[in-house]
Amino acid sequence: MAWVAAALVALLYPIPFERSGYIYYETVGFLVLLNAMLGIGWNIIGGWAGQFDFGPNIFFAIGAYTAALLFIHLGWNAWLGLLGAVVVSVVICAVVTYPVTRLRGHYFAIATVAMWMIAQPIGATWELINGSRGLFIPVAAGGGFAHGMLTMEFAGRGKGLGFYYLALLLFALTLWGARAVERSKLGFYFRAVRDDQEGAEGIGIDSRLYKVIARCLMAAVFAAGGVLYGFWALAVFPDQVLEVNWNILPMMAVVVGGLGRLGGAVLGSIILIPISQLMTATLGAGPLAGRGIDIIIYGAVIMLIAGWRPNGLLSLPWQRWAGRLLGRAPAQPAKG
Amino acid sequence: MPPLLQVESCTKRFGGLVANRDVSLVIEPGEIVGLIGPNGAGKTTLFNCISGALHPDEGRIRLDGADISHARLERVCRLGIARTWQVVRSFGRMTALENVMCGALRRTNRVGPARARALELMAFTGLAGKEDTPAAGLTLADKKRLEITRALATAPRLLLLDEAMSGLTPIETAAAVELVRRIHRELGLAICVVEHVMEVVMPLSHRVIVLDHGEKLTEGPPAEVARDERVITAYLGDRYRARA
Repeated sequence: MAWVAAALVALLYPIPFERSGYIYYETVGFLVLLNAMLGIGWNIIGGWAGQFDFGPNIFFAIGAYTAALLFIHLGWNAWLGLLGAVVVSVVICAVVTYPVTRLRGHYFAIATVAMWMIAQPIGATWELINGSRGLFIPVAAGGGFAHGMLTMEFAGRGKGLGFYYLALLLFALTLWGARAVERSKLGFYFRAVRDDQEGAEGIGIDSRLYKVIARCLMAAVFAAGGVLYGFWALAVFPDQVLEVNWNILPMMAVVVGGLGRLGGAVLGSIILIPISQLMTATLGAGPLAGRGIDIIIYGAVIMLIAGWRPNGLLSLPWQRWAGRLLGRAPAQPAKG
Repeated sequence: MPPLLQVESCTKRFGGLVANRDVSLVIEPGEIVGLIGPNGAGKTTLFNCISGALHPDEGRIRLDGADISHARLERVCRLGIARTWQVVRSFGRMTALENVMCGALRRTNRVGPARARALELMAFTGLAGKEDTPAAGLTLADKKRLEITRALATAPRLLLLDEAMSGLTPIETAAAVELVRRIHRELGLAICVVEHVMEVVMPLSHRVIVLDHGEKLTEGPPAEVARDERVITAYLGDRYRARA
């Protein structure tokens, strides 16, 4: 029931804004969905496999650049480009991740930060991707909604609505895929490696292999997100796609919502993204503009959550509260 | 035909400390072997070398005649040796059932059959009713039992139990001994137990190997080993001499 309701809300959300012309809120919805999708991807390595990856945005950038290059030079459709981007980023991820899977805990995290730091000058200077001048994605206007959905090419009117539904589609695919992973052998092995690496190896699990697989799944999701973002922004700039927020926000959404839970990234994004958008929109012209107020608020939220509910908001007894609200007897506590 | 497990002159050093010196032993299919020795005798190191958590500096370890001296943990497990750990290594945030399913997924890629196998084994080892408890919430005795069940789920031919009974109450210990006997009887595995509690090892094992200062002191049937003067001095102490 809750699933059907959530799906309906997600499907109908942009309609009133489209009709009234407040398409800014469609963009907020687009960003929430994009971020939730990235969070679900990050949860695979961070929440399930237990390896904190602080540099996932390199795959976001690889995705954005690959699809943009394929579009500009070879005229590939964005969806084909998305497939290419996923393949390229997964291959690169496997190659760069395997050596660092020897590292654990903080050391693994530091290695991922290092990768991100290495990626920044490459992005800013590599001539193939036009260095810091970036790549522009030339899109013709007036293709219509159906054409846009098939090509990710939207310009002008209808773009907000189109990209909202593109993001919703990719988000739904990611959610569905992650759910399948969670229930498969992979999901079990990831969590086994997280809970006790030696214990996992002792029952025949190749911990390094499964860490690589977990990070590659994450890389695939980030690459897809990068493609979507590139075609939305109509350009790929190194400082934009390697922006630190593409590392921090998905991760923070997961931690705020509930690490290791699929719904965590979704709930976290619904809470965090509007905060940042609201800040930018309301303080945009004021004296506090550009002072990073949203980052300060994020910091406060993280501190509150970490101190008060380290397992995230989803770990609160929502079911019991809902039952009380509806006047029903509280659900039986878990036995044991 | 080669024996199931053969350790040939295994030596393992940690810097200047020789944890195992020139240890050789054989385990045949279907026997229960006790590995005893005072603290620091090198029992766990030997276990670690056999299971692939460590690799011997010298000597060889063979499973069915094939050299596994340098195979890693996960490969040794796949070849048919499963182990438990002195310090329990259950997957704390997963349920007991999920822990065992992780073991069962060694032999199948599908979650459904792994679940069925795990339920079956949990009933066999007496963990029925605790399937949905998070492993971190189990008692020590149940955690050790869970680890044995998880190891069994990988369908090994040789089970290495590292102090599976230490830290348990006498009643829990008796239950654990009964479990090991039942595993041996009904699943026909070869089992090697490292144990401190003499009252457990002696009646349980078909054969006992004594380690002292990293070297093999002696081996033989429990009754013989318990009468061996060297073993008594090195390990068992006067209390046991008086009783024997």
